[in-house]
Amino acid sequence: MSTSTPALGADRRVSHGLARALRSPSLRLIGRRLAAAIPVLWGVTLLTFLVLNIMPGSAAQQLLGADATPEQVRQLEAELNLDQPAWVRYWEWLQGVVTGDLGNSIASGQPVTTIIGQRLPVSVELVLCAIIVSLAFTVPLALMAARRPNGIVDRLSMVLSMTGLSIANYVFALVLVVVFAVIFPVLPAIGFVPLSDGLLGNLRSLILPAIAIGFPLFCFYTRFLRGDLVEQMRGEDYVVTAKAKGVGPWRVLIRHAFRNSLFGLLTIVGLNLGTLIGATVIIEQIFALPGIGQELLQAINNRDAVVVQAIVLLLAVVVVVANLITDLLYAVLDPRIRYGQRSA
Amino acid sequence: MRSRAKLAGLALVAASSLLVAACGGGGATDTEGSGSGKPQRGGSLTVLEGAGYAGAWPTGLDPATNTTGGANQSQMNAIFGRLFKLGEGGKIVPSLASGYDISEDGKTAKIEIRPGVEFQDGTPFDAETVAWHFQRVVDSPCNCSPSRYWRLEKKNGITTEGDDTVVLHFTVPSGAVISQLLSSNANWVASRTALEKMGEKKFKITPVGAGPFKVVSNKLSSELALERNPTYYEKGKPYLDRLIFKTIGSEQAAYQALQAGQGQAYEGMNITPLIEQARKNPQLTVTQQPATSPYVIQLNTKVAPFDDKRAREAIYYATDTNAIREGLFNNWYPVSQSFTAPGGKFHHASVPGYRTYDLEKAKALVQELGGLEVTLGTLDAYVANQVNEALQSQWEKAGIKTTIRSWQLATLIKEFDSGKWQSMLQTAGAWDPAAGVSVDFRFASTSPYTGVWDPKLDKLLLDAAATVDESERDRLYTEAAKYISDQAYAPFMFAFAPQNVAVKGVQGPGLTTPISSLLVGPAIWWEDVWRSE
Repeated sequence: MSTSTPALGADRRVSHGLARALRSPSLRLIGRRLAAAIPVLWGVTLLTFLVLNIMPGSAAQQLLGADATPEQVRQLEAELNLDQPAWVRYWEWLQGVVTGDLGNSIASGQPVTTIIGQRLPVSVELVLCAIIVSLAFTVPLALMAARRPNGIVDRLSMVLSMTGLSIANYVFALVLVVVFAVIFPVLPAIGFVPLSDGLLGNLRSLILPAIAIGFPLFCFYTRFLRGDLVEQMRGEDYVVTAKAKGVGPWRVLIRHAFRNSLFGLLTIVGLNLGTLIGATVIIEQIFALPGIGQELLQAINNRDAVVVQAIVLLLAVVVVVANLITDLLYAVLDPRIRYGQRSA
Repeated sequence: MRSRAKLAGLALVAASSLLVAACGGGGATDTEGSGSGKPQRGGSLTVLEGAGYAGAWPTGLDPATNTTGGANQSQMNAIFGRLFKLGEGGKIVPSLASGYDISEDGKTAKIEIRPGVEFQDGTPFDAETVAWHFQRVVDSPCNCSPSRYWRLEKKNGITTEGDDTVVLHFTVPSGAVISQLLSSNANWVASRTALEKMGEKKFKITPVGAGPFKVVSNKLSSELALERNPTYYEKGKPYLDRLIFKTIGSEQAAYQALQAGQGQAYEGMNITPLIEQARKNPQLTVTQQPATSPYVIQLNTKVAPFDDKRAREAIYYATDTNAIREGLFNNWYPVSQSFTAPGGKFHHASVPGYRTYDLEKAKALVQELGGLEVTLGTLDAYVANQVNEALQSQWEKAGIKTTIRSWQLATLIKEFDSGKWQSMLQTAGAWDPAAGVSVDFRFASTSPYTGVWDPKLDKLLLDAAATVDESERDRLYTEAAKYISDQAYAPFMFAFAPQNVAVKGVQGPGLTTPISSLLVGPAIWWEDVWRSE
């Protein structure tokens, strides 16, 4: 008896803790969001499949090229199992996905998980670098611009932002290569150096692509953050109070206004993740980076439905999860926000 | 809004100026290439390949399952070597084979295998393996499979005689068998032992052949890294230690990468302003390869308006090929009046009675027809789109209303399938008219991509492909060209010649010296490519 009592108490504490955790508003939010994501993700796969099937030409035709005879196309379609009805192929693929099997590429026969495993790290690194590049320059420039609206820094930042927003990222990428790889050959024009071959080489291979993707975002974020900061500094009561208390302007800007503006910035960064991932498709082509964007484009060209569906599904999951994380970060950044609490 | 537009404009102007300034050069034009000097051993070479064609190998590199083998001939040649290769002046050079013999009736071809050769895995390169390989590629779905030309006997179509001879037995005479072998995946022999050991799935990623380079790593349609095969049969070759094929998204990006030293060669540059810049750039060598495939305006003779010979003649007379060559392509590409070109076999500069540009005759014919409205299509590609736009404006002058359409591959094929298309800008013919995208492909009744259904022409083309005697083949193809011209079946324009770009110091046959194109571009001899530093 004496030995079982503490064990029972521990069990009770664990189950009690679990029950409390399950009642946690944040966990419930996660649960609700994930449940809502299931039909969204299914819809994405169905839409992708439908679009791929509406597009003229089969994978066999694409793979064989313009010179193939109809007999050759039929032969390859049979070999690739493409002579089955579309819904049968989709159903089989969907069943596989539910059990964790994304299938094999129609073109190469390689497991899609292997292909994604090879390509994803490159794109993840690229996207992270692009976010870092964009935010690292956004925050200081927006703060300096907001400190003196219409001052020289503000005007310069506006010129820079407008330039960045006006120029297509693929044109900007080519300009970057000309300047930093051809005229001043300090960075590589193409190619990817894996992290395993050295951090410096790896970063060098990603600097130009990350700037090409990150610069337009930096321009957008800077304008957004600067505008928000200026608004807060002009009209918000807490700013007036802080100033009345004798807090210095930089301190008001950074400690008070910037903290509030972070929510907006965070939302924009989260919402722009899809745009960011979309940009990698073009930029990976230009810089010959073996990432997921390059694979997606090739798979679309080859009508490799299995690979396209898997990659689109993966990207949709990333966007859904990123938005969820953004929501949760609100609560971390602002103690006033607690999910599940009723507003007063 | 106004200031924003101005800023955008300024940004683009600045970007364009930078690009032009950086891409321009002031050096002398070098279109001859440079094949001089004593080859040196060692070094690494990165070859950039366009993502839309040579840089795409989505189905791997097994000769029997690589459906895009024709586009990937560089990668395939480097790994597997070749039984025969095409040399300068259109000479067939035995390589892994040592020779061939075709029987007088054209129904038997004996291919001698070079003795003592080994695959990269150390297994013997013998007749039995070559025969096994032939059978495998004949059954393959690649559009470069020899099955599209070879009519082999059902039983014992491929046999061996001893260790060094493979015999092909045909049901019909096949005089062009070696030309067809050159343009097909039969020319790339895979190691049977390696394939059976690895299985097809692994073999297509890391294939084993008897070529000058071995596979180190292969990321499909992205990067293929090869290293020197020390057991290659030609002593001292290949010269390079490493050969890397890298896929690149655009010609502009490829050009910049060459300038930045991240690549040393680019195959098949198309875009005229870039070629002009590259030719002026003292760091680069641009080599225009001998043209073999002429552009042809296919006319669908089964449907209106081109079921009427007068409408076809009007197109002949309204087409000013020289103006297009000069205006769009700096006269780089030679005029062709038939399905042959200066870099290929059986070429003759002119076809007697060929209808050349004559605007007045074109106008008169259009008037006689009571007007002419046509749709002109093509596969969406830089050169073809440029030509079609020029044709539209030329034909307009003759009173021909033209709607131009540019299709993706799948839609183009659908158009052909529908049978309702009117005219298409395509390429026809190859180094040997009976191989590659052969003349039959565009003109034989049996082809799904023909615009002509004429038994007389069918017979001429069949006989020309079957005949062993080369002078007789020449006579038959000349007759076929004259017949096509007389019937005004399809006007030919100019033969596109691919241009290979290499950085100075890189040299090799097909890269910096001319070799006729077997398919779209020439098959470069990678084992002979070397760097001078």
